[in-house]
Amino acid sequence: MITKTLKIKNKLGIHARPAGQIVKTSSRFSASIYLSKNGNEVNAKSIMGVLMLEAGYGSEIILRIDGEDEFEALRALEELIDKNQFGEE
Amino acid sequence: MEPSSSNKEIRIKGIPASPGIAIGSVLVLSGDSIKVDSNSITPDQIDAQIAKLMQAIEKSKIDLIELREKAEQSFGETDAQIFDTHNLMLDDDLIIQEAIKRIRERLETADNAYFQAVSQFESYLAHTEDEYLRARTSDLVDIKRRVIRHIQGKPVFSFALLENPVIVVAQELTPSDTVNFKRDKILASATELGGRTSHAAIMSRSLKVPSIVGLGSALQALETGDQVIVDGNKGWVIAHPSLQTIAIYEKQRREFAVYQAKLGHIRDLPAKTRDGKKIELSANIEFPEEAQTIGEDGANGVGLYRTEYLFLTRKELPSEEEQYREYARIVQIMGDQPIIIRTLDVGGDKLPTSIKIAPEDNPFLGVRGLRLYLPFVDVFKTQLRAILRASAKGQVRLLLPMITTVSEIKFCKEILAEVKEDLRRGQIPFEENLPVGATIEVPSAAIIADIIAAECDFLSIGTNDLIQYTLAVDRGNENLAYLYQAYNPAILRLIREVIEKGHQQTVWVGMCGEMASDPLATMILIGLGLDEFSVSPISIPLIKEIIRRVDYTECEGLAETVLKCQSVEEVKAVLRTILKQKFEDLLYCQIIAETNQD
Repeated sequence: MITKTLKIKNKLGIHARPAGQIVKTSSRFSASIYLSKNGNEVNAKSIMGVLMLEAGYGSEIILRIDGEDEFEALRALEELIDKNQFGEE
Repeated sequence: MEPSSSNKEIRIKGIPASPGIAIGSVLVLSGDSIKVDSNSITPDQIDAQIAKLMQAIEKSKIDLIELREKAEQSFGETDAQIFDTHNLMLDDDLIIQEAIKRIRERLETADNAYFQAVSQFESYLAHTEDEYLRARTSDLVDIKRRVIRHIQGKPVFSFALLENPVIVVAQELTPSDTVNFKRDKILASATELGGRTSHAAIMSRSLKVPSIVGLGSALQALETGDQVIVDGNKGWVIAHPSLQTIAIYEKQRREFAVYQAKLGHIRDLPAKTRDGKKIELSANIEFPEEAQTIGEDGANGVGLYRTEYLFLTRKELPSEEEQYREYARIVQIMGDQPIIIRTLDVGGDKLPTSIKIAPEDNPFLGVRGLRLYLPFVDVFKTQLRAILRASAKGQVRLLLPMITTVSEIKFCKEILAEVKEDLRRGQIPFEENLPVGATIEVPSAAIIADIIAAECDFLSIGTNDLIQYTLAVDRGNENLAYLYQAYNPAILRLIREVIEKGHQQTVWVGMCGEMASDPLATMILIGLGLDEFSVSPISIPLIKEIIRRVDYTECEGLAETVLKCQSVEEVKAVLRTILKQKFEDLLYCQIIAETNQD
């Protein structure tokens, strides 16, 4: 199992479109993937879960990934959230 | 004649959102009428109920694939993406597991369990602070309705199955309702909620079916099958009309159809007077969706693209990237036709959530329009960057709102130069000679229009504010409505001066206020030498028809006569008479000539 803390850097935070992107990316992997904010943990493969996280600009979220392809999953999610900022500013 | 039934005629007033008249029978689209089987099941039925649920979800997903394709074809990729979110919600494990748990543990029926599970998430979302997330609750309602109808084996309502066209009545219309709108199935729409810029209103306008929004709960009196009249020109829904009323509206409907057909043929003809003076005729728009249809109406471009919606419909300010994508999309839709983008024009009465200014006693005389750029220069810079980047892709012009003094233009131009320099250093392409224009809507700017014009590439007269500031009358104040006079000689003289002074400095002068859309004003404005009319999309054919039927010299003569008038009553009497004489066949002009009596 691996965990990693990421900061939400796009100004609009995780609204509907980025939430969808997280779910789509996470669903490509067999590992279980969880996101948490302030102790509130949700399944990253669930749109309702990710939306209810209400992660706004500047908030810190913890990724917890467990499974065979956990490293690939981490890389893909880091790229989406951290590097590309969901393709937003 | 006697009324057709014992029901009394009811008239409900709303906001006219798309013009035209329709007479037909009602189809009530109701989101709240979901009925579920609340009986308990026996333990041996559990597996069958779960299977039923999963099948219904699969069927709903197939529906969504079809809906998405239709949406993409009819309205474009952005509208289609709504259905991607629906798809993820359908697939959502939290919802499905909750529903399965309810079937197993509480022995609920599949439809009841799914209803309860989704409703639970609905109330979570409805109570979040984020406005965006709250708006997602309507998506949940949408999938809930679809899945439950599949579980119950009831046909999911489809417009394609309708035999006769209907008048759609609803509390509000969702994207998955309107995606199925077809002109041959929908006569008109009428909704309880919504404003002129709501989804239903925009879609109705682009399909050219009459629409009335904001009718309120009075609309709940209507039932499927009721006969109604929808008057999208004036905003009336008339339920259970008497035969006499039907006859009156049937006549109007035919006249309106003739009028539209008459104006339809001039779409591709130039806006030119009989003696050859060419007028730029463009459209005021607020959403990219509108840009797609103004070409069909016969506009030469966008004379005013209001960008406020990007800032006012959300909690956070839009990023440069987001603005750029939006602007670039419209610029691309317009191709080689010009598009005038106005920078953010808001004030203390209506501000983006993230922009805070001290409370003001009088926001209309406060920090508004361009005055906001001084304390919030970064917001201005971000928008300029996005506009400049979009300018590389077409014919963009920049319009600055609420200019009061010449130093304000100089300030904006300095910022613009800075932003350009930044882009140059980053080797980001943009149009070096982006034309810059000033909105003339404050009397001081109108009086010194020559000085302002010397600093600009064009002027655009914003009549709504110019009237309110010149006559010192709040246009929202009902007690003073009589004083909000577009045809007051003071206003006409100011307009004449602005056009003359602009021309002295060899810049062109346009008008983007409501007066440009008023057929009563068209001839004098031509006569005063106005170069560009930017009008509401639905007014384009009518204004073009008027331009094409008059001589410039004749308009000059009329302008001269009218500018000698001493009172607004005199001005209007002259204009009404000429409108009636010259354009008797144009129904709309008739209505305006008769009703514009105030």
